[in-house]
Amino acid sequence: MNTHAERQHSIDKPKTKYWKLFKKQGTLHLFVGLGLFFLLIFAYTPMFGILMAFKDYSISDGIGGIFTSEWVGFRHFDEFVHDYQFVTIVRNTLILSLLKVLFTFPAPILLAILLNEAKNNGFKRIVQTVSYLPHFISWVVVVGLAFSLLSTDIGMVNKLLMGLGWIDKPLDILTNPNYFWGLAVGSAVWKEVGWWTIIFLASIAGINPSLYEAAQIDGAGRLSRIRHITLPGMKGTIVVVLILTIGSILGGGMVGSNFEQAFLFGNSINNPTSEIVQTYAFKVGLKDGRFSYAAAIDLIQSVISVVLIFSSNYIAKRASGSSLF
Amino acid sequence: MDMKRCKKSLLLSLSGLLLLAPLSACGGGGTQKNEAAPQAQADADGVKELTLFIDAPWYPVKEWKGPVADKITEKTGVKLKVTVATDDKQLPLMISSGDLPDLVFTNSNIDRMSDSKLSYPWNELIGQYAPDFKIDPTRIAIHTMDDGNFYTVRNSFATQEEMAANKYAIGSDGNPGIAVREDIMQELGNPPIKSTDDFMKVLGMVKSKYPDMVPLIMDKDWLEQYFLQQFGVEALLDGWYEQGGQVDYAIRQPEMLEFFKFMNELYRNGYVLGENFAYTNDQIDDQYATSGKAFAHSHTVSTADTDNIKLEKAGQSYRFTMLPSALSEKTKIVSTGLGFAGTFITKKNADPEASIKFLQYLASDEGKKLTMFGVEGEHWTWNEKGYPDLKYDPSDSDFINKNGIKWWYLYNDGVMEGLQGYVEGTQKTQALMQRKEITEYKPELGLIQTQPDSGEKTTKTKIDEMIKNEKVKIYLAASEEEAVANYEKMIETAESIGLNKLVDWANRIYQDKKTLFE
Repeated sequence: MNTHAERQHSIDKPKTKYWKLFKKQGTLHLFVGLGLFFLLIFAYTPMFGILMAFKDYSISDGIGGIFTSEWVGFRHFDEFVHDYQFVTIVRNTLILSLLKVLFTFPAPILLAILLNEAKNNGFKRIVQTVSYLPHFISWVVVVGLAFSLLSTDIGMVNKLLMGLGWIDKPLDILTNPNYFWGLAVGSAVWKEVGWWTIIFLASIAGINPSLYEAAQIDGAGRLSRIRHITLPGMKGTIVVVLILTIGSILGGGMVGSNFEQAFLFGNSINNPTSEIVQTYAFKVGLKDGRFSYAAAIDLIQSVISVVLIFSSNYIAKRASGSSLF
Repeated sequence: MDMKRCKKSLLLSLSGLLLLAPLSACGGGGTQKNEAAPQAQADADGVKELTLFIDAPWYPVKEWKGPVADKITEKTGVKLKVTVATDDKQLPLMISSGDLPDLVFTNSNIDRMSDSKLSYPWNELIGQYAPDFKIDPTRIAIHTMDDGNFYTVRNSFATQEEMAANKYAIGSDGNPGIAVREDIMQELGNPPIKSTDDFMKVLGMVKSKYPDMVPLIMDKDWLEQYFLQQFGVEALLDGWYEQGGQVDYAIRQPEMLEFFKFMNELYRNGYVLGENFAYTNDQIDDQYATSGKAFAHSHTVSTADTDNIKLEKAGQSYRFTMLPSALSEKTKIVSTGLGFAGTFITKKNADPEASIKFLQYLASDEGKKLTMFGVEGEHWTWNEKGYPDLKYDPSDSDFINKNGIKWWYLYNDGVMEGLQGYVEGTQKTQALMQRKEITEYKPELGLIQTQPDSGEKTTKTKIDEMIKNEKVKIYLAASEEEAVANYEKMIETAESIGLNKLVDWANRIYQDKKTLFE
């Protein structure tokens, strides 16, 4: 028969165990706590600003105005949906985002596989370094470089093509709306492919070399080894990166930069293809001081992103068994 | 053991610091409880420093230095720490973050800054600190907002009467003009340019004789103004015009379509570069003009003088000459302007008293002359005829900017600015005198101003933004039919955004406010 004291001891035991464990991992918990605190302050607390999207907020009313300004419901959402540019900018955002995923997602996987297959270590290192360095160049500089290379008047590319007699008149790549998506996707691939290759190379490095040796003995060729060993070995990483990419697809996916590119490469001539939701929200929100309207536009985009990340996670789980959560 | 404890406590205190850092940042935005007007600390010489934000990325002076700035400091005991905007979104961002300097000088955000939550009303500060600061009733009426206060007075404004009374006040650089290459005109046999058609023909001759040259290069901010006036359009694309007592938006003025067809023809004929409409840098056109790659240069009335100074310095042999301000009788110049930019004393101002007194000095006759002409004796002497004899060329932008002449016109007027433009024998003077002869004044149209955060402002902003996007499609259309169709579509879109309602509102305002000038 258990005495009261024994019963109390058995109840306290797990508590003490967890407390001891917690104390033991104290430093680690402190770091996690700081991260959570950071998220709480900078990610969750500002979320009350979403209220703005449903109110007629004026910046001169200060922070308090977010709560005290007039409630207007879905008026700003309605205004955006009925804007004369709505279809164009939503189309531009979706097409640019899809094109980026389509081209920027497989590119680093391909490069990682190619690098893995290269036998010369020196060559591998040079390619890796050269391909990931552009990641550290800001978009402002990239656009400046693009101007020097592609301008119709002083651009080296046009001068070269004209000199070779391949074209009769310069290509207006920087201004023609038909070139904008290609320009944006091409420059994003150039800038980010090397950086993302590092992650995929790391996942390839985790594949057991004996699998390759066994396959070789069994007579598997290079392509078979890639198909049956490398790609399945990378599957987990590919799925996680894909889910993250789709979650942030409207911002440009894994390479991001939709806003930077549309803002910096965009001009009044290529506007029919370069104006996207983010640049539009920036212009009407910050430049014209219509914060409620801009908040409503961004909220629509955020909702679409959340739906996309949950759907892609669900599909990935069903299709491959791997998922983010 | 002690070492371990020491490490632990160091880690804890560091963590504490990290935790407190964001909190301290969050607590920084509290409102100032002290209601007494703040005062800036003067330095050892008794000079107070105020911060000034200039909301104009192109502004040529970036620092408070040079003889004019020094003299103003000597007279007022105030020096300025200047920040020039990096782009047109910086001030809106500063307003939204509450990070405003002592003074803001702006032209595009005048309605937004005219807000008692952001700026001190001048009428209050004048009553409190500078009762002898007299501003004429027209200027006060123009700038008085719906709350009964006025928060600034724009520079560069003069009434028709003031301009008429000052024969030599001819206008400022801020007027459009086109300069053409004198040598090439001679080689072409000096064909007459008495209409826009003539000009088009001359550009065609240039194109066929000099195929590597760009016939016409345009400054990014001066693409349309000159041609709009030549076609008799009475306002810019985002302005109001009046006919028969009724106000309408300029894009609907009948002459506007002819203007668009002309611009489209320029492009289709290859006389202008398509990418000229996408320039974001206002130096590109100057480089074309002064490197011999362009025949005509569209910019301001001082283009020829300014380009020629640069060419002379570079040792080039060719020169530019201005086209007449009015090519034909069709030309119309309507001044609806209420001035250019105004200075705001923000609610973050460290010393409102010193600020309003500083502006009072700039508004005095002595202050206006010092700012606009330079230091008396050193830069100019007064000619008894009624204008300053300048000892420098007012089109020499390097000299002007180095000495800080004109650009500290935080308070000034159109007469002084017009007098600074008068230099006998210069092309600019000639162009401005031509303009003055035919200029019609309708400042009452300038009073049709939308209030911040109003429905009208939203509609107008949307229409203007739409015009910015759609006009380029008209300019760059592949055929005249396409250009006309794009123009009609632009008007339809403007109407679908709410143009008719906006015009009704504008007519109501116009009827209310025009009495100010009667």
